[in-house]
Amino acid sequence: MNQPGHYMVRPGPEAFLPPAAASMGNALPDPGQAHINGRIVPEEEAFQEAARMFLGGTVPTIFPGPLVLWAWNEKAKKKATAIKFLYDTLKECAPAGAKPMLIPMPDYRPKYPKINPEVEINPNHPNLTIWHNKIDVCMFVGVHCHQANLSLKIIRGGTNCYTIAMCAQAGHEDACLSFRDASVEKIMYLAEWVKKLKGTVPFGALKKHVAALQTQDRAGGVRS
Amino acid sequence: MSKEKIQICEEFFDIMPPEYQALVTNATWGKEGRGWKDVGVNKELIEQHSLCAGCPESMAFRYILASLPNPEDTVMVGSTGCTSLVFPHVGIHNIHSLFGNQNAVASGLKRALTLRFPGKVKDVVVLAGDGATVDIGLDYTLQSWFRQEKFTTICFDNELYANTGGQESGLMQKGFVAKMAPMGKQFDKVRLPEIARESGCVYVVNCTVSKPSLIEKVVKNAVLIAREIGPTYLQLYTPCILEIGKNSMEGLQEMRDAEKPGERFAYKEYISDQAKAFLADVAEKEKAKKASAKEALAQA
Amino acid sequence: MDSHSIIGTKNKKGQVYTDPNHLFFEAPRIPSFFTGSEVIKEAIRRASVDLMVAYPITPQSEAAALIGELYAEGYVTDYMRGENEFGVMSECAGGSFGGARVFTTTAGPGTMRAMENFPMWSGARLPIEMIVTCRGINSPLSIQPDTLEMYFLLETGMLVWHAETAQDFYDWILMGFMVAEQPDVHLPIAICCDGFFVTHTKDVVNLTPVDMCLPPYDPYRSPVPCMDMECPPVRMMRDPFIMKSNYISYATHASWQQEVRAAIERSRKHTIPLLGGLIETENVDAEILIVSSGTAVSQGREAIRLLADEGLRVGLVKIKSLRPWPYHEIREATKHAKHIFVPEFNVAGWMARELKATVPDSDRVVAGPQVAGGMTMPPEVIVEHIQRTLGKSVATLAARGS
Repeated sequence: MNQPGHYMVRPGPEAFLPPAAASMGNALPDPGQAHINGRIVPEEEAFQEAARMFLGGTVPTIFPGPLVLWAWNEKAKKKATAIKFLYDTLKECAPAGAKPMLIPMPDYRPKYPKINPEVEINPNHPNLTIWHNKIDVCMFVGVHCHQANLSLKIIRGGTNCYTIAMCAQAGHEDACLSFRDASVEKIMYLAEWVKKLKGTVPFGALKKHVAALQTQDRAGGVRS
Repeated sequence: MSKEKIQICEEFFDIMPPEYQALVTNATWGKEGRGWKDVGVNKELIEQHSLCAGCPESMAFRYILASLPNPEDTVMVGSTGCTSLVFPHVGIHNIHSLFGNQNAVASGLKRALTLRFPGKVKDVVVLAGDGATVDIGLDYTLQSWFRQEKFTTICFDNELYANTGGQESGLMQKGFVAKMAPMGKQFDKVRLPEIARESGCVYVVNCTVSKPSLIEKVVKNAVLIAREIGPTYLQLYTPCILEIGKNSMEGLQEMRDAEKPGERFAYKEYISDQAKAFLADVAEKEKAKKASAKEALAQA
Repeated sequence: MDSHSIIGTKNKKGQVYTDPNHLFFEAPRIPSFFTGSEVIKEAIRRASVDLMVAYPITPQSEAAALIGELYAEGYVTDYMRGENEFGVMSECAGGSFGGARVFTTTAGPGTMRAMENFPMWSGARLPIEMIVTCRGINSPLSIQPDTLEMYFLLETGMLVWHAETAQDFYDWILMGFMVAEQPDVHLPIAICCDGFFVTHTKDVVNLTPVDMCLPPYDPYRSPVPCMDMECPPVRMMRDPFIMKSNYISYATHASWQQEVRAAIERSRKHTIPLLGGLIETENVDAEILIVSSGTAVSQGREAIRLLADEGLRVGLVKIKSLRPWPYHEIREATKHAKHIFVPEFNVAGWMARELKATVPDSDRVVAGPQVAGGMTMPPEVIVEHIQRTLGKSVATLAARGS
């Protein structure tokens, strides 16, 4: 689709009800590609960028979803191991002062009567968990795409969190950065990059990066 | 899904909220002899509910979910109404249909599950209110029975449309005054259990939910018969205490009054000969199993 | 079930599960002479459909019954006759929730009767394929072709494609499943054709080999959990009562609806390579264009030929996809035109209205000719409309006979 530029997808708070990036003209990456802020890039670039975002965050968080929390098949179990490894690597490599977290999204129903935001996140009101824990960068993995998109949009609308999607299908335009065709290998590769960049990203660098993003024009894309 | 699959990946067990840990460790999935006695001990199949305090529907929900023979392979189909407020907290897959088309959705669902999992137990249970079953959904309810679709229909009969404020429904009694029936209902309570029998249901029960052990028995029977023989129907009186002007503590007595001999919810059962023989066979097998277990224990 | 590993294996009818791109673009084609109804049957024979629910209404009754024959032959796994269209579409929903590839057909009053189901299908991300053989909507009653019903579908959140010919129809029925079932799309799709004009006339259609079929649907490559108690999470409804919960903003509900619209946008990427674009253009450098969809395009082609005989050059834009709407493609294609004519088979002139909202300088769009309720639209009527608009005085066709 020939669109002039792309709609910049960056941390919010963006709007009362932000538009879906796909409706603003953003396309999903092809195999071997990823996207950073809506811009299609070679996947390799996105691994570096994601690792940098994680290391620059104050409360970098991984949100595993039902597809990897529950041991419903062998692939899920292996992914769980890889995700735990990524989290452990993050804990080991994050600069002093950072507080990495691992918070599950156990299911998709609205929590009643009240969610405990320290313990879980939910796609119907993910902002509560983000706000409460002051999460400034997070990665979703193992969440069904529909629910992931809900979460990503609501987070972008009402919080300043940088979102990363590690997607097993075609990726997410509504995340600030998205991979596609996620696999055990890709999760491990991201962990490798986190390790590689240890010590090179000063504590709190994410804030500066996001501030720089905010100054850029939100280009392109006509709402169709 | 076999009970073995409902497990948390070990790396994540510690970070899962307590109710999910309980779902796995204390669950009665695949527990032989699970039933109403597990209510209160294991809450894995229903979380808190947002219905009124003392609501008989909420009681019925707990008994039904406790009584399903194989909850790990049961999918429910609900309809719009008070029950749909509870379904988000039910620990098995359930589908919110529109309103009235629950039996049609269940028909398609049962066929999909049968063709995808031939020879495997996959129970479908419909749970809807009286308005959804007998008024807006009557066509789809009856047609699923005509077609002999193999699933259980449960109707929570509170004799009106409760969730929308208490309007007259087909299962309301004649003369009862309610919204949209300011002069009292002009025609009799629809005899749906008899219609169910004539439409092809092989097991029909009409009763209240005052006795959890009875609910356990009829739910188990209904699901097991629907697996093998034909459609089954349970009409359960779950009065809306709000709309009949009672308070939280009075629901149980209201049901006990309504089920006295001669009253409209006195226990009534229609069962085909084939279903009857099937249940007898099941009972025989249970007895034999218990006997051999007892013997094994005695020998140990 | 891994779709990739299944390619190359055989189903129980001896058909080989074939890579879709190979099936559509490389496999040999066999020219055959069929009615549109028979074309539906031939497409579904190759589509690895799990469940079809049927109900009689003209002009799709033949097609629906022919699929029943496929079921009896073993090409469709399950099949039933529903009680009315609302019931049929609900049965389809149930089947799709349960992870089956589901197909159905309807028309006119049937579409109207089923209507409540369509936004529910989209919101629940059910990739059901529905064929709509467009016909008149009461009142008055008309079984004849009319595209008014398509307009009602445009905001259901479904994908909507409009086939012109039986060949389009055959190809798009198969391609529709492949686009609708993409994990980033995963929406119901309505493949429309004009009733009788396409369903009941015979045409040469190039079929793909009968021993090649589409790969089966994989319900776990889905953006939402399959309702079969075989995948997590177990505590799951596909339609959580968001509005009846505490601490939840209605933003969830709005975001859900936006996500459905976004999924329609995502389908462009998959649709364009299969359909060869969301529109098709001919001579769009001309000052006069005919823009439409369905058999109005066929009649437009004839009108263009007649006008060419009189020395007038007219271009053509055939719109294939109504949802997603080819906004940019249409603006690009119409940028040279001074007059854009929109022949339609409906009383509302909805296509003209959509075009007016799309192109800059919308006064260039001239609605019509429009016919409705099953009236035919002879090419001469289109010619007459164009010539009159351009200032030529022409005797009306309708007066012949006086």
